[in-house]
Amino acid sequence: MSIQKDAYEIIRTIVGDSNITDDPADCIGYRSGPGGYENGTGYDRVMTKLPGAIVMPDTTEQIQQIMKVCARYGVPYVPYSTGFYGPRSHPHVDSALIIDLKRMRGFEIDAKHYYIVVEPGVIYSQIQQICMEHGAYVVVGGGGAQTSAVANLLNDGWSPLSYRIGLPQRRILGLEMVMPDGEILRMGSLSDGEDPFWGEGIGPDLRGILRGYTGLLGCLGICTKMAIKTLPFQPVTPEPQGISPDTSLKLPEKRVKWLNFTMPDLESIQKAHIELGNAEVGGAITKVPLFWRAIAKAEDKEDFWRIWLKETEESVKNFCIVRIMLIGYTSEEQFDYDYRVLSDIMEELGGIERRTKPSDESWFKNADSAGMWLMTGSYVSVDYIMDSYTQAFKQGVSYMELKDRYTPPLMPDFKDLGWFQGCEMGHLGYFEFLMYWDQREDTSGVDQFYVETSKMNIENGYYTSLLSAHQPMMLTGPKYGPNYHEWILKLKEEFDPEWMCHPPVPLAHDEFVRRSPWMKEVCTWDPPEDLPYPERWKDK
Amino acid sequence: MSVIDKIHQDRFDTPKTPFALDIEDLSNFEYDMQHCIKCKGCYWVDHTYMPGMENAVRCPSNLWKEFDSYGAFGKMRIGLHLLNGELEWSDHLLELIYADPLCGACDVGCKRNLDLETGLTLEALRVKAVQDGAGPMPGQKKVIANIRETGNIYGASASRHSWMTEEIRVAEKADTVYFPGCLSSYQKKELAQSTAMLLNRSGIDFMLLPEESCCGNVAFSVGDIAAAREIAMKNVEKMRNTGAKTLVVSCAECYRMWKVDYPKLLKIRTADLGFEVKHIIEAAHDAWQEGKLSLRNPVNLQITYHDSCGVSRLCDDWEPYEGERGWMGTIEPGLTRRRGRQGLYQITRELLENIPGLELKEMQRTRENALCCAGGRGTSFDFPELSAFSATERLREAESTGAEVLVTACPWCVSNFDSVKPEEDPFEIADIAQILLKAAGQEGGTV
Amino acid sequence: MELIRDLAAISGMANVLSEPEQLKPYLSDLSLVPEGWAQAAVCPANAEEVSRIVKYCGENHLPVVPVSSAVHLYGSSIPKQGGVIVDLKRMNQIHEIDLVNRCVRFDAGVTWKQLTEALAEKGMRVIMPLAPWGNRSVATDHLEREVTTSTVYDYGEPMQSVEVVFPNGDIFRTGSASVHGYPNTPARGANPAGPGLDFYRLLQNAQGTFGIVTWMSLKIQSIPKIDKVYFAPLQSIDYGMDFLYRILPRRIGQECVILNRRDLAELLADSPEEYESNLKIVPEWTLVLVVSGLLRRPEEKIAYEDHFLQDVIQSEFPDIRLSTGLKGIRGADRRMLRILRQPWQNESVYWKYYGDSGCQDLFFITKPEKAEYFVDTVKAFLEGSGFDCRQLGAYLQPIEHNRACQVQFSFHYNRFNPEACRQVDELSFQTAKLCREQGGYFTRPYGRLAEYLYDGAAGYRSALKRVKNIFDPENIMNPGNLCF
Repeated sequence: MSIQKDAYEIIRTIVGDSNITDDPADCIGYRSGPGGYENGTGYDRVMTKLPGAIVMPDTTEQIQQIMKVCARYGVPYVPYSTGFYGPRSHPHVDSALIIDLKRMRGFEIDAKHYYIVVEPGVIYSQIQQICMEHGAYVVVGGGGAQTSAVANLLNDGWSPLSYRIGLPQRRILGLEMVMPDGEILRMGSLSDGEDPFWGEGIGPDLRGILRGYTGLLGCLGICTKMAIKTLPFQPVTPEPQGISPDTSLKLPEKRVKWLNFTMPDLESIQKAHIELGNAEVGGAITKVPLFWRAIAKAEDKEDFWRIWLKETEESVKNFCIVRIMLIGYTSEEQFDYDYRVLSDIMEELGGIERRTKPSDESWFKNADSAGMWLMTGSYVSVDYIMDSYTQAFKQGVSYMELKDRYTPPLMPDFKDLGWFQGCEMGHLGYFEFLMYWDQREDTSGVDQFYVETSKMNIENGYYTSLLSAHQPMMLTGPKYGPNYHEWILKLKEEFDPEWMCHPPVPLAHDEFVRRSPWMKEVCTWDPPEDLPYPERWKDK
Repeated sequence: MSVIDKIHQDRFDTPKTPFALDIEDLSNFEYDMQHCIKCKGCYWVDHTYMPGMENAVRCPSNLWKEFDSYGAFGKMRIGLHLLNGELEWSDHLLELIYADPLCGACDVGCKRNLDLETGLTLEALRVKAVQDGAGPMPGQKKVIANIRETGNIYGASASRHSWMTEEIRVAEKADTVYFPGCLSSYQKKELAQSTAMLLNRSGIDFMLLPEESCCGNVAFSVGDIAAAREIAMKNVEKMRNTGAKTLVVSCAECYRMWKVDYPKLLKIRTADLGFEVKHIIEAAHDAWQEGKLSLRNPVNLQITYHDSCGVSRLCDDWEPYEGERGWMGTIEPGLTRRRGRQGLYQITRELLENIPGLELKEMQRTRENALCCAGGRGTSFDFPELSAFSATERLREAESTGAEVLVTACPWCVSNFDSVKPEEDPFEIADIAQILLKAAGQEGGTV
Repeated sequence: MELIRDLAAISGMANVLSEPEQLKPYLSDLSLVPEGWAQAAVCPANAEEVSRIVKYCGENHLPVVPVSSAVHLYGSSIPKQGGVIVDLKRMNQIHEIDLVNRCVRFDAGVTWKQLTEALAEKGMRVIMPLAPWGNRSVATDHLEREVTTSTVYDYGEPMQSVEVVFPNGDIFRTGSASVHGYPNTPARGANPAGPGLDFYRLLQNAQGTFGIVTWMSLKIQSIPKIDKVYFAPLQSIDYGMDFLYRILPRRIGQECVILNRRDLAELLADSPEEYESNLKIVPEWTLVLVVSGLLRRPEEKIAYEDHFLQDVIQSEFPDIRLSTGLKGIRGADRRMLRILRQPWQNESVYWKYYGDSGCQDLFFITKPEKAEYFVDTVKAFLEGSGFDCRQLGAYLQPIEHNRACQVQFSFHYNRFNPEACRQVDELSFQTAKLCREQGGYFTRPYGRLAEYLYDGAAGYRSALKRVKNIFDPENIMNPGNLCF
């Protein structure tokens, strides 16, 4: 079913015939699942709908006009840059318009002042290459180099390279949003000039409403331009090498290096994180799940399981590797200094350096994130958390214990603790727990586990990035802040009173729980009978 | 008890599903379509090689028209709905399925990280179109009819051997058969001539196939399996009957067809064909390494090289497969996936870089990241705009290297590039056989 | 409503101020913003009392004017529409110094002096603005986004979670302190973001209009083991900035500032007399760069930074003369280090008042390459307006590897002379306008500048007002500031 007919015709005249479609085959082409991030879950099956139409604007002005037409004719819409983020970035109601931003490909770089200005269609690998040619680098989120930088920063984007800069929103400078009423809101220095080089102010910083931590998933309008900080790198551009599937970046050995250390235990890994931060050296530190290493070694899925099923809880527990990147930002001499400091730390902690490839396969430019789906076919990060190292490592244990109860359908991981890394030079500890399953199994357990992690966090006093639209707001809201959800809903009410932009986000997960019988048993909080969003978007 | 058995015993309950790498049944690729993650590895240049804002994409279809449905990731979703009978064939759907040169960029891109058979799925979608009576496209149907009637894609009645010149030595019987293909036989004769002369210079005696006829690339590529299989059977039999050990081709489409898709159609391994299939690049490289071909004549040109799809992403040996998919999607027995590793990248560059005076300037999209010109596999007959678009885009990239000549390994590429290049543009298009022949001290073309 | 009685019921009579003499200190500050009047001031002991006060004021439509310390610089704590001053000076506890996660949590009433001393005992420090008042609230300075002198940390600001009393009286914790049960939780409050919205951003430079912050968590760093303070006279700001463009992205240095003669002379003085003497000695412009050795192998760190500096200077910037001394000022390096790492020590005279009794600061963000242009433009304008530029302090603060720069002009004047006050007020305003027109970006709108700046960013103002209206529909929180 297409979108409202008059709206379709008006939008067609705005963008031209070749940039709008409601053909059924095209609409199916934009379907979220059944594969992909967080697909193969109940959320995907219950909440996503095929779009009614797709439009591809290429200017902010067109987007404004489109949003105003949508507002006038009651057409719900969802902004879409790559569609990679799974069901949450696809329509949840019938006859919605996908506003596909891929044609917004503007890119500028100010190498001297370490920032770029991009539109939503620009992805990280493009940005990273240009930055590296200019002596800079960006943090390519774990989602992969194929993600839209704008979308990733509005949502969440972490990598071991976040070690120095940390929070993704720190990288956002001036930007431009088209708000749900079609008006343009410019933030940072763009609010008062043409150059988006600075992000704060004027006065209170409205960038605070952008990211409903994690993201508001486009439910407060569309970001059409963003200036993003780049970080000073070192002068040698890493060169790509190899033939697919064995491609990697060759690192300039005297300036950039990954080092792997076998550590005596998890506690020493935590200490390594802390000591590295205290020493204020390094470019990245991370402990990755052991099965990621198996993915990297494996030729294919079967090979992965051959490798992985040799492990046991004991072997996983005992195999403690921390991975550290050194970057010679200043000079080779500085690089050597960092290495000596690191060696001192490792000597104190009993870390033993292992042979490490002089290349980067994962973090600078590539989409190794796609490899997450190799093992079981389905994957989602069930939580990503940023607080302290002490919370991170504790939380990993809690997750591991909870996950055990849901295995199967979750993949047997022999109680691997998940992914840790240090951010903001050790002031923040990051932890991400990823879950994998085969979506051809009964996946009710996957959906339940997802919500149970939220309850576990609340009970144990853990902070989590997956609040707002990612978990039932009626569960998390009263427990964080408290009542952060009330402010989000008030904001939504103020700027998008009809909920035209991506309904019913941010209450989508609450709605999912309400609609899904297998979620009743985990719904131990007290949601309202009627969720507070307009009736017109409610499934009858 | 194995770990998996124990886990099975405990609680995992995945049923085993039989499947085969058989494009005649789309349901064989249901798992693949269900598990496409929309990472667009099928669309973008390998991120490790991503050059920046320009030359970032290697999917010609999706570069031409930008809705997701034109990309492999869109077609995987569409394929599922077709399989489940949830989508009717329409002109637009046919365009989505057929406006696509099946260049293998998506397959290789996807297989960088996963095991999904994207390329085979797209082939299977075409087969389904034909099975459902919707495909192939009108122009392609005509070509297939031409092959049936005259043994060539043009419907030409002239001899296939009219490209031959007096100076070319053809043996009555030899260990090597040279198969020029329709395009070189009828249109780009200089390419066939250069190849033949190069074989002569390399001391490789060659014969031609008796009653030579089209390799059937278009029939296969558009999903007319019956027609393609008939052609395959006849051609393989003809080749086997010659007793020759090697088939040399100069067309990347023919190369892929003989090496990969004939075994696929005949449900045998490449190794079981009974003869080796080589592109002239391989034959020349072997001869050069053995000292039989000298490439010492200076060729004072700045060139760039376009890795034609048939000799890059698409030419890994074929192996038929039947098995079962079960727990976590694992298959039994195992399978060595075709990830495009056997592309003739290195040997081509070894040859070119060895020629005195020749300077090779690589494009940004090179080797498995090359942008297909979209001239082949039946595309140009019904989607000339796509072919022209992609060739123009690739030509722009080629010229931006500062080279004077674009060299490639397929007459379809040469022809397509020639057709979009403005007449007044001094930039030249050449086949690798012509360059190698020149380096061997003989003229054989316009370069 | 019986205001005094009602406030006393919340915080105790001893903590309610209503006599004119008691209220006088609150009604004006060190800025040129005109005096205001308040009905009362109350000094709560904790967030619950703050909450009750705010609710009470809301019920009675009384403005609330939050104040965290004894020093107010920009006029935002002067009541504009009367109301109740909420003075957080009793809330002055340092709750926790967490050495593992390197953060400190402290009340809004904690001063720089208090905090730096407590941290120093544990070998730690917090990155700070240039020579803040010792008795000024640390929380306020970070909320106000005072630019720090450290250029080397990619993450920029040290602020983490806060506790805030919203205009509806709700006590709310931002960031990772928002967890239920905090602080007795594994979550340490180290993350400022969320929950849900990034509330902390709305509170920054809100000047108390979005709520009252009662405590804050900040990142802390270890005190370096070795420091070398370099001075380099600059013949040209452009040349100095080019040098900084070259070295700061290489992560050289901890603190880095550029000061004009006036500012440096004042900073390095212990007395007005010394200031006068310094004026004759210090260069017109001086770059100050601190190179530090940290916890591990400190000498080696200094060594590689020094080597890099030497190489760059020799091959690219021969006119940069780095020296650990400043001619004519004994122990300049040790003094400078103290200035950069501690709040202003002289409790009787703040450095900006050595020469004159008043100082009006004007600051904005720009790209470093434009700093000299702004300095020249402003000087030309002021000279044309009859202002003696010897009264002008100037301070250039590179930010985060020199990706940007804060330019600050300080107008020194006699604040006991009404005409001088009026002149400086007008001049600084006109200077601000000039700088804005030339591309300077003013992120912190104080006093009369606010209306002008928001006029130029009408779209932003409109959205900001809508957001404010969500949090404070009655506009009781410090009305008359910003655009509210």
